Amino acid sequence: MTTTDTETTATRSSAWKELWSKEDWWAVWLGLGIVALAYIFYLSGSSISWIAVSPAKWSTLSQLTGQFAKNGIKYLALLVVLLILFTIVVSRIGQKPKDFIPAFTFVFVISTIVYSLGSWEQASKYTLEPPLVALGLGLLISNLIKLPRWLDAGFRVEFYIKLGIILLGATLPFTLILWAGPVAILQASIVSLATFLTIFFVGRKLGLDRRLAAVLGAGGAVCGVSASIAIAGSVRAKKEHPPVAISLVVIYAIIMIFVLPVVCRLLQLPAGIGGAWIGTSEFADAAGLAAAQSYGGLAGSHGIAGSADQAVAAYTLIKVIGRDIWIGIWAFALALISVTYWEPSETTSKVQVGQIWTRFPKFVIGFLVASILTSIIIHGNTLAEYNKVVKPALITPITALRTWAFTFSFFSIGLTTRFRELASAGSKPVIAFTVGVIVNVVLGYVLSVLVFGHYWSTIVTH
Amino acid sequence: MKIFDLLQSGNSGPVCRDCVHFENDPAIIEKTYPGLAIMSSGYASVRDCDGICNFNDLYLSAHDSCPNFTARAGKADR
Repeated sequence: MTTTDTETTATRSSAWKELWSKEDWWAVWLGLGIVALAYIFYLSGSSISWIAVSPAKWSTLSQLTGQFAKNGIKYLALLVVLLILFTIVVSRIGQKPKDFIPAFTFVFVISTIVYSLGSWEQASKYTLEPPLVALGLGLLISNLIKLPRWLDAGFRVEFYIKLGIILLGATLPFTLILWAGPVAILQASIVSLATFLTIFFVGRKLGLDRRLAAVLGAGGAVCGVSASIAIAGSVRAKKEHPPVAISLVVIYAIIMIFVLPVVCRLLQLPAGIGGAWIGTSEFADAAGLAAAQSYGGLAGSHGIAGSADQAVAAYTLIKVIGRDIWIGIWAFALALISVTYWEPSETTSKVQVGQIWTRFPKFVIGFLVASILTSIIIHGNTLAEYNKVVKPALITPITALRTWAFTFSFFSIGLTTRFRELASAGSKPVIAFTVGVIVNVVLGYVLSVLVFGHYWSTIVTH
Repeated sequence: MKIFDLLQSGNSGPVCRDCVHFENDPAIIEKTYPGLAIMSSGYASVRDCDGICNFNDLYLSAHDSCPNFTARAGKADR
């Protein structure tokens, strides 16, 4: 066997290995498995609603305790099923089940409390939006109490959010993705390019290394920390570059989780428009979903027009379809620029074309497939049939499981954000990134509200 | 065309993945970069199989290569 043959075989082998060693694929297997199971139960005249339990609206503590007395066994069953499924996943990607099981049980218990609090009828009056409560509680715990590090095994922010997004796909009609996708891509591309170029050239003007400027730019423009780490690998960043970008993205993303919904509320933006703006101007998937879900929770009251689903759908279309899926293209293009102009003598290798696919966030495949499956199942039902049969038996249980997954993620963001551990970024990266954030937010507002506002305010989510 | 000379569809020759100076275990990457798991993951597809070169102090692709390549004893498919 020649060296080239050996390397090709190794590449093929690692391509297959990715199917069970990456969180993205596990989110796909698990998400589509849940959706398939939900369809099987639905088609057989039943539903997974028994296991997909969630707190109902309550106004007095006795109502809440009554709910738990009645459904306690369902919550326990949900915990056991999720523990089994998630433990299989984390053990396959190389983590220790003995660490994961107690950590996830802790996440589940607190998430149950947060989910219940969000179902209180007065919750929105006191701005107790579940995503913000979960995040805030996690931040308090991680920064005031020193939790044992092994508990981090259960705080898998990305896995939970990817699973939730795939389940979200199962509640969105594919026609919506086809209808709104091109606008989402156009809007996100304009903002992404403008933000990247701003951060990159301001960074260069301040004397930053080209590769650090690119890593920062991608973090602000594409998909936050994931983009920064992907671009760092493709442009051969210095070892100390990624932590700078991670710190800045995390801090700004957490600020935006709280600020964007407040500003949207002050401006009385319809839910769909608010979601689109958050999708354009937030940095990471999980952070943006926390903000979009919080703002969506206000829809229908407080003078906010639209529905919670519109905020989440508009956000997801812009963020996932408009921004996330292009990371492979960004990585390829910047790698090409890097070997051609920036550091042509640093290594002897060439640019891998295959990274367009290998860096593709595979959970998006699950999101699209889930949407297509739902659309096929629902096709042929009238709106009345949908509301009477399909929604309670199929869509509502999947939505409940999605909310659980998102709550696990939001709480885990807080639990893993230990401000004292974030690397110091230095003034120049801070300035470059901050200018990019300003451009991103202003341009995001102009496009989401002034240019495409009519579009996002009327998206149909069922 | 010159641009095509810079592209590569597969690997040829020794690459970082098999080098003793290269480390790309997701758990170690998450430990090396505190904060990575807050809003991303060492196990995410976008990270491909990138890792840290402890010789050149770079974060780079496992498919890269350089003149300082030193074969890992009993190289594994990582």
